[in-house]
Amino acid sequence: MRPRGRSVDLNFYAQLLLNGIVIGVIYALIAMGLSLIFGVLEIVNFAHGEFYMLGAMCAYFLTVNWGFGYWPAVLIVTAVAISLGCVLYEALLGSLRGESFERSILLTLGLSMVLQNGAVFLFTTTPKMMATGLSYSNIIVGELRLPLSRLYALGLGLAAFAALYLTLYRTRVGKAMRGVAQNRDAALMVGIDPRAVSRLAVAIGIGLSGLAGAALAPVYAVHPLMGFSFVFKAFAIIIIGGLGNVSGAAIAAVMLGILESLVGGFLPLVMVDALAFISMIAVLLLRPQGLFGRGVRV
Amino acid sequence: MNAISVRALAFVIGLMVLFAIPKLTGNEYVLALGISFAALSVLSGGLNLVYGYTGLLSFAQVGFFGIGSYTAALLVTEQNWSLWSGVAAGGALATAVGMVIGYSSLRLSRHAFAIVSLSFALLCMIVARDWVSLTRGAMGIPGLPAPTINLPGGMRWRIAQPADFYYLLLGFAVFAHALIYGVVTSRLGRAMRAIKLNEPLAQSQGINPLAYKLLAIALSALLAGMVGGLFVFYLTIVDPSIFDFYYTETMLIMVIIGGPGSFWGVLASSAVLTAVPDLLRFTTDLRMVLYGVVLIAAMLLFPGGLGGWLHRRRVARWRQPRVAP
Repeated sequence: MRPRGRSVDLNFYAQLLLNGIVIGVIYALIAMGLSLIFGVLEIVNFAHGEFYMLGAMCAYFLTVNWGFGYWPAVLIVTAVAISLGCVLYEALLGSLRGESFERSILLTLGLSMVLQNGAVFLFTTTPKMMATGLSYSNIIVGELRLPLSRLYALGLGLAAFAALYLTLYRTRVGKAMRGVAQNRDAALMVGIDPRAVSRLAVAIGIGLSGLAGAALAPVYAVHPLMGFSFVFKAFAIIIIGGLGNVSGAAIAAVMLGILESLVGGFLPLVMVDALAFISMIAVLLLRPQGLFGRGVRV
Repeated sequence: MNAISVRALAFVIGLMVLFAIPKLTGNEYVLALGISFAALSVLSGGLNLVYGYTGLLSFAQVGFFGIGSYTAALLVTEQNWSLWSGVAAGGALATAVGMVIGYSSLRLSRHAFAIVSLSFALLCMIVARDWVSLTRGAMGIPGLPAPTINLPGGMRWRIAQPADFYYLLLGFAVFAHALIYGVVTSRLGRAMRAIKLNEPLAQSQGINPLAYKLLAIALSALLAGMVGGLFVFYLTIVDPSIFDFYYTETMLIMVIIGGPGSFWGVLASSAVLTAVPDLLRFTTDLRMVLYGVVLIAAMLLFPGGLGGWLHRRRVARWRQPRVAP
């Protein structure tokens, strides 16, 4: 139901905007990791969404079954995801080179099948609600209701943004990572170890994905297929932002989140789902290097 | 007899046996497996054309399959179209959509094509679920009628029994594979393979890569859309699960195990991989876990598949010095 009246209308928009920003920040966490991995390794990680799902699942079991609080659970999940990223690189991705693009996709797709269907087999597809104390608490500002769980997710997302930005642009290892992304051979020549940098990129990417899952677990229902619908939007986002462009992916993600939320307030659900895809096709036709890309890499 | 006529004879006998199966056994389970094989082999054959021969990894096949299914089902039930015109319309729509996706993403790179094709396949499922006024949402369209085909000479063939569907789909599969075989053994197929091996070199020889890539996509989309249109009438229901990722994964496994770029290898692996998991009675979830493990192992250990292995063996035999006895 659309509320009537001018002040209520304004609140309605503000609410949509807030929801859009929260969801956009979470999209950004997933898409930035995907974009970082593509930039450094030239690998499209098709299993990326499954790590988001695993993060949410872990957070659910930690809080509901083992009685952890929200914050310890988020910390544990992020740490586990980062170590999983290291394992993933050493076990599977490390043996691939840039030119075996199709092999890397099929490899990560196989991994995604194992993780997703394994989770379905173990936990069934029944959605689980992570009902913690903060699920129903709201902060009320004027006539606006701000669910605390969404605000926490927003805060976590922004903190992760800042951490990633500082790592990439203010540390030596971040510089090395950008160097490998720009030109792998030249980076090797000046003494950067591409393996160490790639491992770190995968660890950060998977860590962000796990963090996104844990942060959103109290907001949405948790189930084994949740990664699937998310990663499809993340793919659209990294194309819109420019393949391998991490900050472009972040901006495109927040834009898409807001746009989806506003469109969702007025148009049928099918339009919301199609929005990411339509924007992607439009960007490919009008500006193939992505909205924030500098030039086409051929 | 020389080797070629022996092979031709074996091929004709094999085909006759396949068409005689409904006469030899009335077992519906065997027929159901045969129908699955016919449908899946057309899908994997199309994927082989796009990925194996032209080198474009595509996840869009299942989208074309589902679009063909929905189009044919809706036109036949709601507009009273005949089976063939519904199926043709499904194939045409799938081809048009394939061209749009291919044209827009191939301008950037084949990386973009892989990503866009995956997004497209997922979008199809979501649209089928959420565009309730057209597709009736998650419930789908149940109770599709048994179609009737007008045969030449005024006869009407009502396709209701499993055996009828077996003949229909096997006939279509033979047609589709003949078409694919014709393409891959002709000048077109050689140009596609050249593009896969070395695109700049192919371009320097006067081959326009985009045109051949689009041709491969269009042909695979047409065949996938048409086989989808035929297959739903056997299922008698079309719902969003027609876009299930399960089909994509099965197709990919068939092409990878059979060997990308090997016509007979993919056909053989389609047959084996239709029959074996069904006989072993795996639950679908575990089967997909197993497929995932197979995919990872294949990528790490033998990326050429069965066809690649046979090819390597043949090359090794050629290289052996011939010593006169």
